[in-house]
Amino acid sequence: MTFREFLSDRLGRVALLLLCLLLGGAFLLATGTQPGVLALLGIPLLLVFLGVQTADFLRQRNRLRELEAVLEGLDQKYLFAECAPAPGDLYERRLFDLCRRAGRAMAGAVSDARASQGEYREYVERWVHEVKTPVTAARLICRELDGETRRKLLAELSQIEAHIERALFYARAQSPERDCLLRQVDLGEIAARAIETHRSLLIQQGVRVETQGLDRPVYTDEKWAAFLLGQLLQNSARYRREEPVITLTARPLGKQTQLIIRDNGMGIPAWELSRVFDRGFTGSNGRTRGSSTGMGLYLCKKLAGFLELGLSIASEEGEGTTVTLTFPSREDLTEL
Amino acid sequence: MEKILIIEDDPAIREELALLLENEGYAPLPVTDFTDVPTQAADARPDLVLLDIGLPGRDGFSLCAALRKVTPAPVIFVTSRDSGLDEVRALSLGGDDYITKPYSIPVLLARIKAVLRRRGGGSEPADTLEAGGLRLSLTKGTVSANGRTAQLTRNEHQILACLMERAGKIVSRADLVETLWDSQIYIDDNTLSVNMTRLRGKLAELGLAGAIKTRRGMGYQL
Repeated sequence: MTFREFLSDRLGRVALLLLCLLLGGAFLLATGTQPGVLALLGIPLLLVFLGVQTADFLRQRNRLRELEAVLEGLDQKYLFAECAPAPGDLYERRLFDLCRRAGRAMAGAVSDARASQGEYREYVERWVHEVKTPVTAARLICRELDGETRRKLLAELSQIEAHIERALFYARAQSPERDCLLRQVDLGEIAARAIETHRSLLIQQGVRVETQGLDRPVYTDEKWAAFLLGQLLQNSARYRREEPVITLTARPLGKQTQLIIRDNGMGIPAWELSRVFDRGFTGSNGRTRGSSTGMGLYLCKKLAGFLELGLSIASEEGEGTTVTLTFPSREDLTEL
Repeated sequence: MEKILIIEDDPAIREELALLLENEGYAPLPVTDFTDVPTQAADARPDLVLLDIGLPGRDGFSLCAALRKVTPAPVIFVTSRDSGLDEVRALSLGGDDYITKPYSIPVLLARIKAVLRRRGGGSEPADTLEAGGLRLSLTKGTVSANGRTAQLTRNEHQILACLMERAGKIVSRADLVETLWDSQIYIDDNTLSVNMTRLRGKLAELGLAGAIKTRRGMGYQL
């Protein structure tokens, strides 16, 4: 709060006072008071008024600064009214009372929302586990079918599984610390797991996958990393061109390890590249092909942030896309 | 024949799994009454236990600990719970492996075979395959016939092994690709053709030019 703001806020009061002084002065002059006496009366009055206003200004400014510091220091800002230092005057006390009541209602609403989000997450997880049982049974039953029908059905089942998996990880991404287990994993195992999960799609799309130097350890959560890689593989398979090839190359980068996923697919137009990680973003490729949810890469970004994985994307339209995953070194990993 | 105890409460999976294992040459023992599983396990004396976690009454974790006391058989958890914590818990309770549903059948069978072999129950895999006058060494990656030997690449080796395992039968190109992916060779149809040509070239040098026949529209046959 500046002095000017303060003054403009009290403009009415100042104007009234000046008006009273003028009228009073005019009256006294008219009734024969000498100008010297008038000045002797008027100037101290004006000074007292100014002094009171300045003191008011300083008090209010300090109080506001104090409250702002309190707010800055709070993690949950909506608890402000509970934590602020006790107010001095009656009017402020009443105001705080109102704020506190509003804050309590808000805190209640927040904790209700949290609880219902938690419940929903639990429901999604339970649902996912339940739906996996019939899918497993269906896979086993497929075995008795002849080659072509079996392959087609297995491909459809895989699609269902991919959607289920995404739903599960979406639910998990809300509070990732609950399922995350960071440990040493072989990068090759993560890749094998991701490829195995999406093999029906990859084979159906005629994709060839080449791997180079994947036999090195990384520190991460195997399932999450495999899910993340799986999203990238799915994208590469979906947005492919002729003779699709995906290469997975690992290389050390200081103490970190980089995994580079390169495809020779459609690529992403330059002006869309910065938005591919946004929630619900479907690029021109996704729109022309349909069935894009704009969720895959969004989830990747979110999970990568949690796993402290570096995730970057580069692409040239018509040439292909390269995604680079940088796994943190053991020392860099903050304990979870 | 190795006995495999199936502890799974979903009837469809239980029955299909039993059928699958029977076809693969195991003796499946599906559990249908979940009141006193450890006693049943002690009586059945299985060579391997497939254990679900979400069971009626008692969950798989505590069941595993109980099973450990009554039978030396290895336990493979087969479950739809796929959080890392569940897996660690399962393995620390004495589980030998942890497979999540939905699993692919080749993966499940491979893991069963591996666990049985680790426990010394299963037979060691043969080192050589023989069919159609060919002798394939699985560890060295060489093929020999008529006293001559040729070195094979990993891809060629897997293709030949797959054909030899089903000698006399027609193996479709799609099945071949699937089998190669099982062995973490992720090739496409075109690459298969290239590899097949090279493999035939090598076999021709061994004096078996027409060993692999093409069945138009159906696949290959050794």
